[in-house]
Amino acid sequence: MPAATVNRPMPRKRLSAFPFVLIAIAVFGCILPTAVNSPLLLTLLTSATINGILATAVGLLIRHSGLVSFGHAAFFGAAAYVMVLALERTGISVETVIIAAIVLPTICAFGLAFVMLRVSGVAFSMLTLAVAQACYELVMRWRELANGEDGLAVKLPNRVFGLAVGVFQRPDSMFLICWIILMIVLLGLWFLGRSHFGTLTLAIQDNEERARFIGYETTVPRAIIFALSAAVAATAGVLFSLYNGFVTPDTLHWTLSGDALIMAIIGGARSVWGPALGAVVFFFIRDAAGGYTEHWPALIGITLILVTVAMPTGLSGAFALVRTRFGGARNG
Amino acid sequence: MAETWSLEARGLTKRYGGFFALNGVSITLKRGEIRGLIGSNGAGKSTFMDVLSGRGSNLGGEVFLEGQNITPLSERARRRAGLARSFQKTNIFPELTVRQQVELAARAAEEDNSEDVLRELHLLQYADRKAADISYGDQRRVDLALALVGHPKVLLLDEPAAGLTMGESLALAHLLRDLAERWDLTVLLVEHDMEVIFSICSHITVLHLGQLLTEGTPGEVRANPEVVRAYLGSAAA
Repeated sequence: MPAATVNRPMPRKRLSAFPFVLIAIAVFGCILPTAVNSPLLLTLLTSATINGILATAVGLLIRHSGLVSFGHAAFFGAAAYVMVLALERTGISVETVIIAAIVLPTICAFGLAFVMLRVSGVAFSMLTLAVAQACYELVMRWRELANGEDGLAVKLPNRVFGLAVGVFQRPDSMFLICWIILMIVLLGLWFLGRSHFGTLTLAIQDNEERARFIGYETTVPRAIIFALSAAVAATAGVLFSLYNGFVTPDTLHWTLSGDALIMAIIGGARSVWGPALGAVVFFFIRDAAGGYTEHWPALIGITLILVTVAMPTGLSGAFALVRTRFGGARNG
Repeated sequence: MAETWSLEARGLTKRYGGFFALNGVSITLKRGEIRGLIGSNGAGKSTFMDVLSGRGSNLGGEVFLEGQNITPLSERARRRAGLARSFQKTNIFPELTVRQQVELAARAAEEDNSEDVLRELHLLQYADRKAADISYGDQRRVDLALALVGHPKVLLLDEPAAGLTMGESLALAHLLRDLAERWDLTVLLVEHDMEVIFSICSHITVLHLGQLLTEGTPGEVRANPEVVRAYLGSAAA
C-alpha cells in the first residue's frame, strides 16, 4: 500500500480578479445615487436590482443543478406575504419578521425539493410552475387571509434595523441597500462556486450517477441548492415588500417567474453575475420600449431570441468568450 | 478457518421480466488477484458488474467485500467501503477539470492520493483542463482515475480498453498489473480484448447466457472446448 498522502497541501488556486472587480462595481453602484438626479431612473434601477436578485436565484439553480424553474415567484411572493401578514397579524418585531420571511420559504423549498427533485427537465419546470400557481390561487381566493387581488399594505414600524422606514422607501437609499445586498449575494455565490460543496453540486449536475459511484449522496446537495436559491428569491421578495409597501398576488404570478428566467437567459446563467446583468438589460429595454409602445414584451421576446441564437451562454458567456480569446481567464 | 475472500459473490441472480440476465452466479477473488471476466455479448458481464457495485437491485444472492456483507449497501456506501468501479461507457464529469474531479473523488474516499493517481495514469499534464476537452483515450484514464483514487480494496473495470488502440490497450494492461501489485488491489476485469485479458489475468471466469460457464487459468480456459464453442471460437486456436 502506498503511503497515505492525506496531509499533502492542495495545489493553490489561482488568485481570481472577480472579488476585486465586484468590489469596484459595488463602489460604483454606491456612488451612482449621488450622480443620478432622476428619481424615475433610480426607481428603475432599484426595481432592476431587486429583480436582479430574483434572477440570480434562478441562475443559481440552473448553474448548480441544471434545473429551470418556472415558479421562483413562489418564494419571492411567499416572503412578501409572510412580511405583510406577520406584521399585520402578530406583534413580532419587524427584524424577526424579515428573517422569518427569508427562512420560512427556504425551509419549505428544502422540504419540497425532496419531492420535486425526483423529476428533471420539463417535468421539474412544470412542477415549479404548478406550486407557484397554487400559491397564487391561494392568495387570490382566500380573501380573509390575503385580501385577494386587492392585495395588502405592509404595515411597517417607524424604524427597521435602526433605520427610519423612509430609507427603505426612497429610491436613492433603497437602491443603495438593494445594490449592496446584490453584491453580497453575488460574492457569496462566487465563493460557493469555488468551494468543495459548489464543485460537488456542479459534478452532480454533470453526472449524478458517477457522483454516487465516487461515494457521494446526491439528493441532499441538490435540495440544499434549491433551498439556497429559494432563500435568494425570498430576499428579493423581502426587499420588494419593504420598498413598495404593498403586496399583491402578482408577486406570485408565473409572469414574474418567467421574467426572472428571461433575465437569467439574457444575462447568462453560467456565471454568477450574468442573471443580474440580464435584469438590468431587461428593465432598460422595458423602460425604453415602454415609452413608445405598449407591445414592449415583443421587444423583450426579440431580444431573447437574438441572445439565445447569437449568444447561447448569454451576455456573460459572450463576455467570457471575448476574454478567453484575448488571453484573459474565466473565473466569474 | 475459512479463507476471507477479497470479493465474494454468492448466487447472484438478476431478472428482467422473464429473462434471467444473471442466474445464480458465484465468484470468489483472492486479495491482489486480477480476474478476467469474459463472455459473448449478452452473457451478463456488465449486469454482473452492476449488481456487484450496487447499480440497480439484484433479485437474489449476496456480495461480500473482505468478509463484510455489502448486499444491502447503496453504490455510494459500497464505494466508501472500498469497492470502486469504472464503466463500459466513459462515465466522468465533462465540465470539471481533471484535477477537480479526481480531488472530489479523493475527498469522498477521505484519502487524498489524487496526485499519485494523476501521475500514475499520466494525467498530470491535463490536470487543469476540462475533461470534455481532452482526448477519448485520456477520458478513459480519467474514468479509471476516479475509481483508483482513495485506495479502493477492489476495482471493477468494465472494458477499460474499449475504443483504445492495440498499443494503448496493452500499455493500460501493464499499468493495471503494475498498480495492482504495488497498491495491493484486487481487480475484476471485463474485457473483450483477449490480449489484455491473457496478458494480465491470473484467472479467468467465463459467463454464458447469465450463467457461470467455467473458471480457470488462461491456459485452462483457452483449452476448454465449451468456452471455445461459446465465446473464443477460432481466436483461441
